[in-house]
Amino acid sequence: MTNIDELFVAIREGDRAALARAITLIESRRSDDHAMRLELLELCHTDSTDSLRLAVTGAPGVGKSTLIEGLGLNFIENGAKVAVLAIDPSSTRTGGSILGDKTRMTNLSKNESAFIRPSPSSGFLGGVAEMTRETILLCEAAGYNRILIETVGVGQSESSVSQLTDLVLYVAISGAGDSLQGIKRGILETIHVVAVNKNDGSNERASASFAADLRNSLKLLKGSGPAAEVLLTSALTGNGVHELAQTIERLCHSLKDDDSFQSRRLDQRRLWFDDAVNYLLEQRISSDPRLFELKTALKGKIESEGTNPYAAALSLVNAILGS
Amino acid sequence: MKKLTYSPPPGTAARTVPETSSWISPEGFQLPGRYGASDAEEGLPPAGQFPYTRGPYASMYTVRPWTIRQYAGFSTAEESNEFYRRNLVAGQKGLSVAFDLATHRGYDSDHERVVGDVGKAGVAIDTVEDMKILFRDIPLDQMSVSMTMNGAVLPVMAFFIVAAEESGVSTESLSGTIQNDVLKEFMVRNTFIYPPPPSMRIVSDVIRFASERMPLFNAISVSGYHMLEAGASADLELAYTLADGLEYVKQAITGGLKVDSFAPRVSFFFGIGMNVMTEVAKLRAARTLWAELMAQFNPKNPKSSKLRTHCQTSGWSLTAQDPYNNVARTTIEAISAICGHTQSLHTNALDEALALPTDESATIARNTQLILQQETDISKAVDLFGGSRYLEDLTRKLIQSARSHIREVDEVGGMAEAISRGIPKMRIEQAAAKRQARIDSAQEIIVGVNKYQASSQPQLPVREIDNASVRRLQVKRLEQVKADRDNSRVEESLKHLSAAASEPNGRLLEACIDAARARATLGEISETLVSVFGRHIAVAQSFTGVYASEFTERSTLDEVIQQSDIFFNQTGRRPRILVAKLGQDGHDRGARVIATAFADMGYDVDIGPLFQTPSETARQAIENDVHVVGISTLAGSHKTLIPELIQHLKDLGRGDILVIAGGVIPEQDIGYLKDAGVAEVFGPGTLIPEAAGKLLAILIEKSTLDTP
Repeated sequence: MTNIDELFVAIREGDRAALARAITLIESRRSDDHAMRLELLELCHTDSTDSLRLAVTGAPGVGKSTLIEGLGLNFIENGAKVAVLAIDPSSTRTGGSILGDKTRMTNLSKNESAFIRPSPSSGFLGGVAEMTRETILLCEAAGYNRILIETVGVGQSESSVSQLTDLVLYVAISGAGDSLQGIKRGILETIHVVAVNKNDGSNERASASFAADLRNSLKLLKGSGPAAEVLLTSALTGNGVHELAQTIERLCHSLKDDDSFQSRRLDQRRLWFDDAVNYLLEQRISSDPRLFELKTALKGKIESEGTNPYAAALSLVNAILGS
Repeated sequence: MKKLTYSPPPGTAARTVPETSSWISPEGFQLPGRYGASDAEEGLPPAGQFPYTRGPYASMYTVRPWTIRQYAGFSTAEESNEFYRRNLVAGQKGLSVAFDLATHRGYDSDHERVVGDVGKAGVAIDTVEDMKILFRDIPLDQMSVSMTMNGAVLPVMAFFIVAAEESGVSTESLSGTIQNDVLKEFMVRNTFIYPPPPSMRIVSDVIRFASERMPLFNAISVSGYHMLEAGASADLELAYTLADGLEYVKQAITGGLKVDSFAPRVSFFFGIGMNVMTEVAKLRAARTLWAELMAQFNPKNPKSSKLRTHCQTSGWSLTAQDPYNNVARTTIEAISAICGHTQSLHTNALDEALALPTDESATIARNTQLILQQETDISKAVDLFGGSRYLEDLTRKLIQSARSHIREVDEVGGMAEAISRGIPKMRIEQAAAKRQARIDSAQEIIVGVNKYQASSQPQLPVREIDNASVRRLQVKRLEQVKADRDNSRVEESLKHLSAAASEPNGRLLEACIDAARARATLGEISETLVSVFGRHIAVAQSFTGVYASEFTERSTLDEVIQQSDIFFNQTGRRPRILVAKLGQDGHDRGARVIATAFADMGYDVDIGPLFQTPSETARQAIENDVHVVGISTLAGSHKTLIPELIQHLKDLGRGDILVIAGGVIPEQDIGYLKDAGVAEVFGPGTLIPEAAGKLLAILIEKSTLDTP
């Protein structure tokens, strides 16, 4: 029904509705849509090198969305086009969710040079990473060159989001349980910039000392390499947001000056391949009733008969290769 | 928090109680006007004595009944003026002005963002000339005027003062009340303009001005009404209203005022719902708590600790189905307010779930109070139910529960801080979602809605407002005022206002009065202040799971969830709906309850920001690629804004996105909206699972047609 070539042309021409529908296609779990999705991906396979993919992560309530609004408007002032992909975790038991990001980005959402798309995190084949990866490519094909990906910093999402992006911005606030010990070491290692947000009013002193502590421990952590930069921001008053945007631009330039930008993206493409192999295998299993039954039966045997998991996996793989 | 006690301030306990008249009933009983403390089981001090549980005054209605004060404002100053004058002739003692949403939000009628809002839900006031028409031939030195204004309180007070001045009435002789309660705007009502800190400064500035120049004027009416309407339970309404009041008192004292110079003029405003004894107890509890909260400021004047209040029957309790039942509901609520000893009362008209009242329905509403006042014995004694074990127990329980909510607020550093963290808003919204689930699963009965539904509905005549012609009239008058005025004087006065706003202690209202004299408009004054203070953008936390957990009819809910799963399997994604509000209508209870309930039933729900134009909402709908846009409308702008939204969607190539509407939509507008392309209209009282299911059926059918 949908003509992919036409859709792609419309995306290239900056048609907002076309980009939105293409993202829907990527988010779709319907098997009929997979072929079209692949076709679309083929069309925008070239990696845009003049883009910057920025992950914005941090605990709920630290002011990520409001900060993204400020950052986005700064980027646009410098002539960029900004896409914000917000991954919302608020899925309910029934699969539904509430996506309220635009209430926090009212000015950015009205701006002609911005595109904001909140997506629920649940229920995508291949997971959030797969969906986000492809959506980034679509946004770049549509001419957006600052891609901001907002995720909530819980569990594994920081490390997976760092595998999709060029830079990671971590948003924190002083007090409120977000102490230094609260930030996992594994997360700290992937961060390039920290914004200590809500640096306003009675919070200013606590923010400054929290930032100083963070700087020290980030230095220790990085050893000889460059430590993540720590900036004070207030999304409320706008203080520090311009400086944050400049810092991100500067980091982006210095990454592109040496090879690290390209090699990071190449690594990410290799990882994409690995992920895709796993994903396609899973796909194959769940779409083939015989394989699906076998898998379920083998899993059951691990529990009921104490079958060795390795042996069970081997018989499943053999069945796939034989099929 | 400071330990609160009941001990009365020195010199207040020993006052003698004046005599009240006794009366003889038709049975020949000689009945006293007041039953003494010894009659009340609790041995409470009598009315008029600290802590005023039984009433703020000793004799209460036995000497002077409550003031019948009907809130009204219709589109234009001319129409409203005529309405006020008719009512004054008919026995009303005070008047109460409702402003339109554009005025509330600080926009002139010619602003592009208020196209659908001018003249809706109240009168449009752009300049002092409109205010002069509003009060034409009404003697302002003899008439108490209540004005419901919060966001644009400065220009409105300035226009009021200048209109009086130019008709020869001095500022000092003006009496009445200005709502001026901005904290609850951030919590529930959303007609704010500036961020919280400058908004609080404006509140204090008005209180300061009144304490200096307007001895007969209540400079603030701390309001719980809107919390009740937004879904707060009685204890939440009580606690947050008093905590708001406390915050204003503290701020005024910090600003250098002496407690007795303004506290006697702090008034309150509560909503009255259907639980008769709870509402009586709520007003008694409010007086008790306020007296004990005020003790920490050591007032010398006993009036500083007396809570005086206006009450309004609940608009939310009215139903669009079987609307004649609303007369009974309003009467019952009025009885509660009276037995709780309110100082003034507004009774709602039976058609207020559909539109602004007609002259006929407004007359019934007013007569309801006249009947209670003059045909019954309700005014004949003080604290009629005092001593009832049930009432005393309820009063005590409400006091205790409210105290613990106030303590929670106190622990985070006061109401301003609690609001900035979103605590009260969240509590109230959760209460609203629970309440809706109880109604939708028939644990709570509403006659004619979820039980005893009528087979046919009476066709009520509904007041219709021609919003476009009101706007034309206002724009013309604005042009006239601008043509006649001395622009250099306007500019100078606005520069002066801007300078006053930039100084931490600048006198704002004086500067606005000067600008009003020069014929600066409400929009110009507000924009000048926005350029210094900024414009506030509301951010609300959302939650899921509350609705589903309170809903007891599991099978109904599961049916909808099952349907949403069918849709998911068919289309590859969850049904996605954008729940949005258009224009300046900030009443978002309905929208937010719908959002959380739909998410609980398997929808992906986008919530639109408040105060959007149709084109902004259309853009969000296409960017998020939703299946449906659901517009919640309560302020009567649907006939202008919804067709515009549909046009924008078509222009963006997405005419296929469904548009549905819900809220206050009169029966006779449904055809108009459907002709304009609205897929479905859900009136008030629609059960949410029913709406969610019906919508899914439409979506499933549509996607089956679309799929080859």
